[in-house]
Amino acid sequence: MSLIRQVLCRATPTMQFTARWASSQDIAPIDLDKALARPEDVEQRNKLSGKITVPVAVNLSPISGVPEEHVKERRVRIHIPPKNAMQSGTDNINTWQIDFDNRERWENPLMGWASTGDPLSNMNVQFGSKEEAITYCERNGWRYYVDGELKEKKERVKNYGVNFAWNKRTRVSTK
Amino acid sequence: MIRAPLVKALGALGSPTHQIASRAVRTSAVVAQTPAKAPEKIEVFVDDIPVKVLPGTTVLQAAAEIGVEIPRFCYHERLAVAGNCRMCLVEVEKSPKPVAACAMPVMKGWRIKTNSDLTRKAREGVMEFLLMNHPLDCPICDQGGECDLQDQAMAFGSDRSRFTDINYTGKRAVEDKDIGPLVKTVMTRCIHCTRCVRFASEIAGVDDLGTTGRGNDMQIGTYVEKLFLTELSGNVIDLCPVGALTNKPYSFVARPWEIRKVSSIDVLDAVGSNIVVSTRTNEVLRILPRENEDVNEEWLADKSRFACDGLKRQRLIAPMVRMPNGELQSVEWEGALIAVAKAVRNANGQVAGVAGQLADVEAMVALKDLVNRLGGENLVTEQDFIKGSGIDVRSSYLLNSTIAGLETADAVLLVGTNPRYEAPLINTRLRKAYVHNELQIASIGPNIDLSYQHENLGADASLIKDVCSGSHAFSKVLEGAKKPAIIIGADLLARPDGAAIHATISEYCQKLKKPDWNAFNVLHNSASQVGAFDVGYQPGLQRALQGQPKVLFLLNADSGKLTRDQLPKDCFVVYIGSHGDNGASIADAVLPGAAYTEKQAIYVNTEGRAQQTLPGVSPPGMAREDWKILRALSEIVGKPLAYDTLDELRSRLDDIAPHLTRLGELVPASNSDASAQTTPNKSISGGAIDVKLKELRDYFMTDAISRASPTMAKCISAVNKQQRQNEEAKQSAAI
Amino acid sequence: MLTNCAAKTLSVVRGSLRAIATSSAQRSDNLFVHRDTPEDNPNIPFEFTAENKKRVDAILSIYPEGHKRGAMIPLLDLAQRQYGWLPISAMHKVAEILGLPNMRVYEVATFYTMFMRKPTGKYHIQVCTTTPCWLRGSDAILDTCKKQLGIGVGETTKDNKFTISEVECLGACVNAPMVSVNDDYYEDLTAKDMQDILSDLKADKISPPGPRNGRFASEPKGKPTSLSEEPKGPGFGLQAGL
Repeated sequence: MSLIRQVLCRATPTMQFTARWASSQDIAPIDLDKALARPEDVEQRNKLSGKITVPVAVNLSPISGVPEEHVKERRVRIHIPPKNAMQSGTDNINTWQIDFDNRERWENPLMGWASTGDPLSNMNVQFGSKEEAITYCERNGWRYYVDGELKEKKERVKNYGVNFAWNKRTRVSTK
Repeated sequence: MIRAPLVKALGALGSPTHQIASRAVRTSAVVAQTPAKAPEKIEVFVDDIPVKVLPGTTVLQAAAEIGVEIPRFCYHERLAVAGNCRMCLVEVEKSPKPVAACAMPVMKGWRIKTNSDLTRKAREGVMEFLLMNHPLDCPICDQGGECDLQDQAMAFGSDRSRFTDINYTGKRAVEDKDIGPLVKTVMTRCIHCTRCVRFASEIAGVDDLGTTGRGNDMQIGTYVEKLFLTELSGNVIDLCPVGALTNKPYSFVARPWEIRKVSSIDVLDAVGSNIVVSTRTNEVLRILPRENEDVNEEWLADKSRFACDGLKRQRLIAPMVRMPNGELQSVEWEGALIAVAKAVRNANGQVAGVAGQLADVEAMVALKDLVNRLGGENLVTEQDFIKGSGIDVRSSYLLNSTIAGLETADAVLLVGTNPRYEAPLINTRLRKAYVHNELQIASIGPNIDLSYQHENLGADASLIKDVCSGSHAFSKVLEGAKKPAIIIGADLLARPDGAAIHATISEYCQKLKKPDWNAFNVLHNSASQVGAFDVGYQPGLQRALQGQPKVLFLLNADSGKLTRDQLPKDCFVVYIGSHGDNGASIADAVLPGAAYTEKQAIYVNTEGRAQQTLPGVSPPGMAREDWKILRALSEIVGKPLAYDTLDELRSRLDDIAPHLTRLGELVPASNSDASAQTTPNKSISGGAIDVKLKELRDYFMTDAISRASPTMAKCISAVNKQQRQNEEAKQSAAI
Repeated sequence: MLTNCAAKTLSVVRGSLRAIATSSAQRSDNLFVHRDTPEDNPNIPFEFTAENKKRVDAILSIYPEGHKRGAMIPLLDLAQRQYGWLPISAMHKVAEILGLPNMRVYEVATFYTMFMRKPTGKYHIQVCTTTPCWLRGSDAILDTCKKQLGIGVGETTKDNKFTISEVECLGACVNAPMVSVNDDYYEDLTAKDMQDILSDLKADKISPPGPRNGRFASEPKGKPTSLSEEPKGPGFGLQAGL
């Protein structure tokens, strides 16, 4: 199509760009497609605008390059990785992750590293939400199961004064 | 990444994958949508973001609702507030000094700045002080890579050091304390956050740890040379933010970044604690707890944590068949399966199966299907339970109050059970109820040391009748309570009069029943029991032996209750399991199975919650997953089972009992009267009620995996040594 | 000499070219862990005497129900007075009386320096060596003690009669230099005075406490410098008009 449009598309999201233009020039935003199109292009576009969409689930497994046995026989676990019990930071417990079923690993006789025959052994992709992970698995044709939900944090009452409560049992005698 | 609070506060710019922003929106949306309940929420501003919180919430919790995490060392959600590390200092506008966010309750209209200059300076200052006396141990410290001090020093500390004292007086050094074979202490690294002290005092109930001395000379330890002997001692390893308390069997083994983590379930007791199995190069290195508010909170009992080195010892790695000279000879799978198939064909339907402590639901279903197809009916569990049709009603063998529900109970009667050593994490719930809920606990049985005060009514079995008839003093307590519960031990119900006890108590619990609350609870001590009952196994070995089986399948049946002389002479015993323990020693054919860290299997815990373990490593040698062995066997025998994959087997489970595939959920059992279904009331015979696990020494080795574990053996010898030393000292003083 | 120079320059350089002079930090020489010894182990029985038991009850009655924990320090002090020092079995006894775990008592007993957790002599000679006393010659007093008793600071004589310790300011600076023997202050000392006190104590004769140079408490030597005449009547110092 028009070179200018291609350049503009690559640079920034179009909306933002046109929005900035509009505010600085105070005119209606110009749609470059329509402005620079030839009459034949306009006709072609009108003919194509009446599209028929056929609902077909996207399945990328034939073209994704993953061998068939690793599509048919693998099960994917979609889950939120648990918080490390040894640390108290919670920055990374809200992302969803997919894990494949664990296959055999053994100790490599040369260096003692872990060898495996499973090409998907280190494949864990992270997602922002359960739905994204499910879409990804469906597109790739893997059988998946969702393990667990995003847990709401339980509201806990924490009060320093309770350490000195008159009630004997909740009085804390340690520092 | 660095200066994280700032990024989170400007959540609007985040991409859709930036979960924090959306979560913050959701939580504050939820907060805004809930109708104003008394007391009314007050509004504070955290980094200029308004948040409505209940009055009495601390600044730290208010910030956490937004998604701003204030750094802290000594604050822990499940322990009392200490406020002694001072890392959580944040600036509040118009206040001359920064406030300790973990302890200060918010006031209306406060503007809290978690990233202002004053806050940053306070954090850098506190970090500087902490690092001044902290040794330069990172390369040799086990906590490196998962250390709170490292992370917070990087994120909030200053980038340069002003510590010149190293050339003059040097840093403080503290001697290491010996507190047992499980927890390694390097007390020089201690930052005196007192989390371990508070844990030992509040959650474990043993006040053995404390802070002696003051100022720079303060030491955390037991003061006297005492071992920290409690069944929850491993949790201080998780709590300690630095490497002062670390996992002794795991010391110098691995770094956290080379570990692979797999979420799983613990099966060494019936609680079903959620764990994370850490593996590297196909070896299980350590087991950590996972947070599950309803089951184990975030604690893990010692046996579950440290018995993982029993997974490497006494393993069956090749199928074996007993030769005519009495020896077990390793053979190939085909040979073993054909030998078993031959015996099965000759058995002519007299086949039985016994499921042991660690048997998973899938294998039990496969075994039941196989045995049923072969014409046998006797599938039993090794652990006995009440006879009769008592197990038809699900609520007659479950912990009906649920583990989380026991926390809210206000009167509990323990009958023939020691929850402290049978299910330590249920004991912590009872202790929580004791501390926060004024729980009154009484026990019928021997005098046991629970970690809280309770009343021992005696060991006489007639006390059960007294209490259940309402004539005992404690019955008044139970009847007057809002949420009473009676917890019966599984071993008690295995007695000959178990059915009578069950019926009596069950009838009484009908009186104690409240809407949404069932008072009748059974505490099992093996992870497979509830699953077995759900799938249709009968309790007790007698039934299997009665049928004079010609072929007996032992599925992880290792408790030693079954001996060779109880069986008919021509009985062919097939053992399917992971460890060479009692079961394999009496077997004629040994088919090596997988342990719980090596298979994807469902276990149902004592409250009826189905959870699954996931494989972290592959079974050693020629071992295979249990249900696959049974599937292969069924093929060779000529009666192939209907499922080839785990999914198909799971759909079969779904047919049998739908709750088995609803993993992680608790399906409440009906509240109906279980006693009406059992055999008519036989009298409770007078034998005194006893408990198997009375002391800590009995706790450590209760199943095949823990019996094979050298760490558990060290624990027992440490307990013995401590007791011997105490006795010797007493004797020498008496002289 | 050259190495000394080098070391000095190096230390100056290392100290970022600032000349810092620091004294070595005097950490407490108290041991904050307990080691069982034949004299001090949990199997040596400890009981309060009958009279002290009455005192225990009196002390406990001061504190309200549920807060008996506050009696810990007085009870530990009482045990220390009875026994001479505070053995671990006394701590266990106090824990038992108060119904507390042993650790809580250990924490309090190790926090306060006046709880002697090692066998201490019958007469605990505490020599004040802080600034006012030091300026007035406490070094001589300390040396006298050490020489006469034959032990060093922190040590106890073989017959378990005397223990010397250096303590911080005891608040009698006007009467410096001074020592405190158990609960008595001996003030305004000279070396000779110290010798006399110690020989008296050796014979178990407790000399009268107080200033040794004849004055009464902290009064000036000689005539009092104030309150030397009758008080002035009302109207003193007021102007005539009032």
